[in-house]
Amino acid sequence: MSMTETKGPRPNVMKAFFKLLPTAFLAEPFLFILCQLVSIAHGFSWGITTLVTQRFFDTAELMARGMADMAAVAMSLLMLGLIYFSNQVLNGVGNFLPQVYGEKALGKIQQGINEKMARISPVCFEDTKMLDDINKANEGKNHAVFFVILVTFVFTFYIPYFLFMGWYLFSLKPILALAIVIVFIPAMTSQVLRSKVYAGLEDKAAPIRRQFEYYEGCIAGREYFKETRLLGAFGFFMRLYRQALELLNKERWKATFKTSMYELLMKVLALAGYLLILFMLFEALMGQEISTGAFTAVFASLGALFEIMEEVVCRHAGNIAQQLGTIQNYLNFLEIPERGGSDTVVDPDCDIRLVDVSFSYPSAESPAVKNASFTIKKGETIAIVGENGSGKTTIVRLITGLYLPDKGYVLHGDKKTSDISLKYLFKNISGVFQKYQKYQLTLGDNISISDTSLVPEEDYLDRVSSMSGLDPKDEAFVNGYDTMLSREFDGVDISGGQWQRVAIARGFYRPHNIIVLDEPTAAIDPLEEKRIYERFARIAKDKTAIIVTHRLGSVRLADRIIVMDKGEVVDIGTHEELIDRCSKYSEMWESQAKYYV
Amino acid sequence: MTIAPRKYSALDYIRIPFRTHPVLSGMKALIIIVSALVPSVKIIGTASFVDTALDIFKNGGYSRIYAPLLLLALISAYTYCIGIFLNLINTRLTLRLGEEFRTAVTEKRSRLEYRHIENNDTWELISRVSNNPEGRISGGYEILLELLSIILMVGGILIVLAAQVWWAALAIIAFSVPLFFVAVKSGKTNYEAFKNATKYQRKAGYLEWVLSGRENVEERALFGYTRSLSERWYKEYETARKITTRTQALNFIKMKSSSIITIMVAVLIAGVLLIPLGNRLITVGMFMGLVNACFNLVQMMSWQLSYVMHQLANNNEYLKDLSAFSMLEEAEGANDLPDADIGRHSLESIEFKDVRFKYPGTERYVLDGCSFRLDRDKHYAFVGINGAGKTTITKLLTGLYQDFEGDILINGRSIREYSQSRLKALFSVVYQDFAKYCITLRDNIFLGNINGVDDERIAEVIEEIDLSETLARLDKGLDTPLGKILEGGTDLSGGEWQRVAIARTLAGNAPLHILDEPTAALDPVAESKVYELFGRISKGRMTIFITHRLGAAKLADEILVLKDGKIAELGSHDDLMALGGTYAEMFEAQRSWYA
Repeated sequence: MSMTETKGPRPNVMKAFFKLLPTAFLAEPFLFILCQLVSIAHGFSWGITTLVTQRFFDTAELMARGMADMAAVAMSLLMLGLIYFSNQVLNGVGNFLPQVYGEKALGKIQQGINEKMARISPVCFEDTKMLDDINKANEGKNHAVFFVILVTFVFTFYIPYFLFMGWYLFSLKPILALAIVIVFIPAMTSQVLRSKVYAGLEDKAAPIRRQFEYYEGCIAGREYFKETRLLGAFGFFMRLYRQALELLNKERWKATFKTSMYELLMKVLALAGYLLILFMLFEALMGQEISTGAFTAVFASLGALFEIMEEVVCRHAGNIAQQLGTIQNYLNFLEIPERGGSDTVVDPDCDIRLVDVSFSYPSAESPAVKNASFTIKKGETIAIVGENGSGKTTIVRLITGLYLPDKGYVLHGDKKTSDISLKYLFKNISGVFQKYQKYQLTLGDNISISDTSLVPEEDYLDRVSSMSGLDPKDEAFVNGYDTMLSREFDGVDISGGQWQRVAIARGFYRPHNIIVLDEPTAAIDPLEEKRIYERFARIAKDKTAIIVTHRLGSVRLADRIIVMDKGEVVDIGTHEELIDRCSKYSEMWESQAKYYV
Repeated sequence: MTIAPRKYSALDYIRIPFRTHPVLSGMKALIIIVSALVPSVKIIGTASFVDTALDIFKNGGYSRIYAPLLLLALISAYTYCIGIFLNLINTRLTLRLGEEFRTAVTEKRSRLEYRHIENNDTWELISRVSNNPEGRISGGYEILLELLSIILMVGGILIVLAAQVWWAALAIIAFSVPLFFVAVKSGKTNYEAFKNATKYQRKAGYLEWVLSGRENVEERALFGYTRSLSERWYKEYETARKITTRTQALNFIKMKSSSIITIMVAVLIAGVLLIPLGNRLITVGMFMGLVNACFNLVQMMSWQLSYVMHQLANNNEYLKDLSAFSMLEEAEGANDLPDADIGRHSLESIEFKDVRFKYPGTERYVLDGCSFRLDRDKHYAFVGINGAGKTTITKLLTGLYQDFEGDILINGRSIREYSQSRLKALFSVVYQDFAKYCITLRDNIFLGNINGVDDERIAEVIEEIDLSETLARLDKGLDTPLGKILEGGTDLSGGEWQRVAIARTLAGNAPLHILDEPTAALDPVAESKVYELFGRISKGRMTIFITHRLGAAKLADEILVLKDGKIAELGSHDDLMALGGTYAEMFEAQRSWYA
């Protein structure tokens, strides 16, 4: 979807290969080596079949001329059968093993990715460039493993095969070894040309394809369906759809036609080479330098020679060229800076202090938070209010240490958030977020996921649930805490209100001294909303609590209120103080309260 | 082309391409058939070349060699280049199928009854069918041809063999038949086992998303569940992997058994042919040609055969999907234009009479004996907790769902007597999840009154709806595409998009305006602005607000409180407060914050 394709420096195949090789090897060293050994044997076995075929034909011809007996021919036939047999076994194993290796290695590599995901700075997920790398890393690693295998196979399969064939042809007649070169050159040229032509044409087709797919969505996609129908807009979009399709097909046809013509040109060239080899063979045969057996065997294997060359040069190289982009994404992902900090214990009962804190999102023009300074005392309940985009969520992320300030610093007790590792920093912090997650796991897992170091005991889960207004004995939860909360995985769907309570229970389950409560914006009816606030109030008691809210009514829970506007802290105080002196606050208050007086 | 409702069979993989483009389809078949016969011709070519060469060694006459050499060269040239032409024909055919078949699928989708769109099972079916349908058809056709090609190839070689030594041909048939049998069976088990593994793969895929998704980053970092979840991921992944590895191993064994049987047959033939070769019943050239042809089958009999069988099973599944899709019910008049004769004064009253409704495939009645009456020119608000059926009412009114019990009367006549076209003209709805059409601003507004709205009116609408500032920002004015799909498009903020959606309502002539809970992602200040704006443009028409924000409901002439699928309370704000029921309780709950 994104218009900005990564147009960085062209990734270098060999550089990428050497970067990936150690990871790929170490993931499954035994299988990796085994693959290579089988591959070498496999490569040779193709060459040997040609040699043995020739021997067989030679003896058969001798027999036909009465110069050899049946037993000798039968022996060499048996030999031929055995060679073919082992070739096929190697072909099977040689194709099967890399798949096994690949999938096993991917499991290990994915675990590495998972752990890396947890180590990179959370703010990187806000950087569109890095996000691209992050999102494509998974796809990239799939390609990366097979990329490494492919490149190694060039050395362990293709080169041995061509060396053998080269040697064989050379031993028949030196000039015939030229065949290998004659086969290689047109295949290579054609590949280079094709990738160039195709890339250009693909760039042209991509935006039209996006349009075409979009119009299809407008006609029949889920998110547009009822509106398009009610507006009677089918005809309108169908016209656009057909136009886009026609245009797209024109481009696609042009691309295919053009590349086909290039290919044809190259094929004619290759064909000339082929015929040249045939002619050389023919000459050698007529000059009685090689036997008819050799001629027939080589002639029969020429097809394979061309095919295998095309396979390595066009198909594999083509695939690699296509996949190199996402492989580069994976490599970039591995380079994403990690969140540092040391494992130092933070005093669980401490104040939080912001000193002249500013923060900008990557590639944003203006800072999301500007020069914020204040202290949150331990045990205090703080409400943060402001319009959409005023920086509420950002400042909470700075307070907890999820993000690090560009300027200034945030202190938990006497330690800067930038000096503490995420694990230790969050040891005593929990939260309920605006966009809380609906994990497609069991009810018990959904709650206990907030602290996986605890063993989820039923008693504790019960206590946490009842504080959150969640009843695990509700008929919706057919298997109690073991109920799978996902229709997709053969479980149940629960209502938005139930999810909200699950999220609160999750926040509560994690032992904490500091808790962040980010208000849900999804539609909730007033009675449920009030209950949520009451639960928030109960949770906030005795702990340091930071509540982010749109509905100013709920600020009554707070000891102090922070008013934010356009990234700046406008004022801090109690409700009564702010109503009197802060115009931003009283304006917001008015706009909401007026409906209720 | 239309997607007729019926059972689709493998024949349709031939029928559809031929109906789309008979010439291309025919050419494709021809090329594949001719190519299948090449190995047989090659036997004869090799035989005559080798035999001539041997004869020349004995008897001279050098120039006799050129004819068979040319034949060999031609065969090579054909095999080498035909792929390009086949690819061209294939591409052309697939593109044409895109224009015919894919468009037909899309059109069928657009006419489906709305319940099929909301139901997850049918929606998945729809997605499967419409994922690259042109490729599925042209691929299906190709696989059938490939199967034919394998049969012809083997058959051709057999005929050449039979012409030389008839009983050897019989022997090879005896071997080939069980071979095909094994291959057919492997295709089937393959499909089953992979299906089994997908269950675990989906779970692993989900966990992978939790471990790396952007939406989860906050909880993931704070709760630090990566290690524990990553272990769980590995378990699911490995379970799936072991299943697939086992099946793959079985497949490879089956596949390679085919080729090993073929080797045995080839050795057998070569061995048997040695006798006539020794007796000079067949020539050396013919012997070499036949033996080569047999051994050349070895690779094909494993890879190509098992690929074809696998795809056949796969394509069969697509046919099942296509049949089921074709039989999904369509809504009558789904794509009709709104009736141009209906104007803003065409609505007198709407009445729900004991309406009961449950969504297809569910047990719970969302509306359960719902009765009320709405009259012209009044403002109404529907309030109630989530799932009380507020949005369902609009879905019934607009005809998206028709199988309800009880009756809905519009101007005293049952809604069942109204055509889709008239219903479309009667109502203008701004949905909660309103569509953000990435087309030009002009077209976005034009869609609100597709029967005709001139530029003058569009300019007025822009003015009334406060989009003038937005318009000034767009570099191509009204012709600037909105959103990021079209090139040169400009993205709007959430609030601007919402005003564009409301502008559509304003451009139209519908006598009833419905605003469905516009609160998602709006802060309270912006939200109250939307209510005021909507109230202003809807003056003098029947209006329905659907909301849980009670302050806004206060603006309505009459408030209808929905509870358990019924109208629990009805009246003006003051009436309901005096009543002291659910509404009063909810209002108090919200007011208490501000008191």
